[in-house]
Amino acid sequence: MIGKIRFLLAETGQNIWRNIALTFASIIVVAASLSLFGASRLVADGVDNATQRWEGGIEFVVFMKADAEPSQLVAIETLLAESEGKEIDDWNFVSKEETFSEFTEFFAGDEELLGTISVDTMPPSYRIRPTDTNAGAVEALGTTFETKPGVRTVVFATEVIREIQDNASKISRATLWAGVALVVASTIMILTTLSIAIASRRNEIEIMKLVGASNWFIRVPFMIEGMVQGVVGALVALPGLAFVRTYLIEDFSESDNLRLLEGFRVSDAEFLFTSLLVIAIGTLVATIGSIVAVSRYLDV
Amino acid sequence: MDNEHESGQPATRTLGEPIVITDGVKKWFGDFQALKGITTSVKEQEVVVVIGPSGSGKSTFIRLLNREEKPTVGKVYVAGKDIVGLSSWKVPFLRRNIGCIFQDYRLLPKRTVAENVAFALEVIGRPKHVIDQQVPAILDLVGLSEKSHRMPDELSGGEQQRVSIARAFVNRPLILLADEPTGNLDPDTAVGIMRLLDRINRTGTTVVMATHDRGIVDTMRRRVIELSDGRIVRDQSGGQYR
Ligand SMILES: Nc1ncnc2c1ncn2[C@@H]1O[C@H](COP(=O)(O)OP(=O)(O)OP(=O)(O)O)[C@@H](O)[C@H]1O
Ligand SMILES: [Mg+2]
Repeated sequence: MIGKIRFLLAETGQNIWRNIALTFASIIVVAASLSLFGASRLVADGVDNATQRWEGGIEFVVFMKADAEPSQLVAIETLLAESEGKEIDDWNFVSKEETFSEFTEFFAGDEELLGTISVDTMPPSYRIRPTDTNAGAVEALGTTFETKPGVRTVVFATEVIREIQDNASKISRATLWAGVALVVASTIMILTTLSIAIASRRNEIEIMKLVGASNWFIRVPFMIEGMVQGVVGALVALPGLAFVRTYLIEDFSESDNLRLLEGFRVSDAEFLFTSLLVIAIGTLVATIGSIVAVSRYLDV
Repeated sequence: MDNEHESGQPATRTLGEPIVITDGVKKWFGDFQALKGITTSVKEQEVVVVIGPSGSGKSTFIRLLNREEKPTVGKVYVAGKDIVGLSSWKVPFLRRNIGCIFQDYRLLPKRTVAENVAFALEVIGRPKHVIDQQVPAILDLVGLSEKSHRMPDELSGGEQQRVSIARAFVNRPLILLADEPTGNLDPDTAVGIMRLLDRINRTGTTVVMATHDRGIVDTMRRRVIELSDGRIVRDQSGGQYR
């Protein structure tokens, strides 16, 4: 058994070595497609996170001071309740606790930042959906809150944010197509590499068949070779994704003139999910490519 | 030393039960019919020499016996088993009982003599200690102990054919199929190869061989099956090439 495994691994190693240039190219194609796919997922996650508070027609948010008096909150709520059904279609309150948990979710892993904040320092807020979404009307309505006692600031969903939201749906659609295209491209690449590996070993394969090597014994080295391409390709893609997360998305969210995109971050959980997805797709592609290759080109 | 080729006297020996049976075998390649009804049998320990003009179906007949080809019509039994209906995952186990040698040796050029022989055992999962013991033994049998670390292209044709015989026989098959094993060899070398096959036959292995080599057929005086245009036109024990 040990001898068998050693023989199969040695065969696989030799196959890869003989076919090293193509194997390398195949790994790069897999890695590139998976990076693209993963990166667009991460960007979509970032956009989602950044624009979450603007979902469902929310046009502006009234942020209260962190130390606003309960009576000041009641005053705002009374005002909102009176306007409901008139200028205001709907509104909801986001407490200090909710804000804090959203915040810690975004910045999970950033211990330094999280150490400096607490529930008490979080501003409670009101998210408001006006009846009239015309930009002028929204601004007029919003500014009436600015001067109320206890209000820190009013933030409007600007056109930039609407545009970003629109793009987010385009991005997720593009992601889907990128996903389909990558599965096809990578599968074909692995398939081609394996078919060439098989062709370059037809003498060995012929002898193996003649002396009675079992079908699996002949197939396994090529299947491992295909799996290596898919899994290594996926693993190569991961550092690229980490780079996208750290340098692109997070730098973006920290840049001053893009304050609008505060919260344009990807949480650890989201990053982990995308990484696992990338590995799963790499493995899937390799499995499909390998199975098709051995059943089509090996004829055993 | 065995001199029976030169003396022209085949050893009298008792043959066993039929180990290969073909029954009404016809083979078409597309529209072309290569075999037109082959019914015959080969007994355990027998040597059968298949002759006939080029294109008469010798190779096709031999390829039916290890399931490299399937008959279009008819039955083939090996060691009592119907091999036509054999499911494809069982074919390797059939082939472990059948050694094959060819005119062009089919050695792996990047492996040494010993590695070529060991390959046949490695790929059927034989343990290393068995391989380490059997490969030198078989190389000794074919007279190539000295050259076990040579590459195939450093050997003469006759030596390469000996390596291929060693590879075919190292797993002690019941049957040895040989398709023109001396086709590329000069007459003296060919005689050496035939002696080797004869020795292998004496260990109990059935030999089915296709050949064009008149000298071999005439000196061996074994059973001859002559094919012509896909039919058996002669089946004679102690036959000659004519
Ligand atoms: N795979 C194939 N496809 C089509 N025709 C084939 C195939 N194999 C063999 N044939 C045909 O079948 C006939 C018999 O071929 P076979 O190889 O058995 O002849 P042979 O007696 O071995 O000839 P030779 O002495 O030249 O080796 C030939 O006409 C050949 O062209
Ligand atoms: Mg032939």
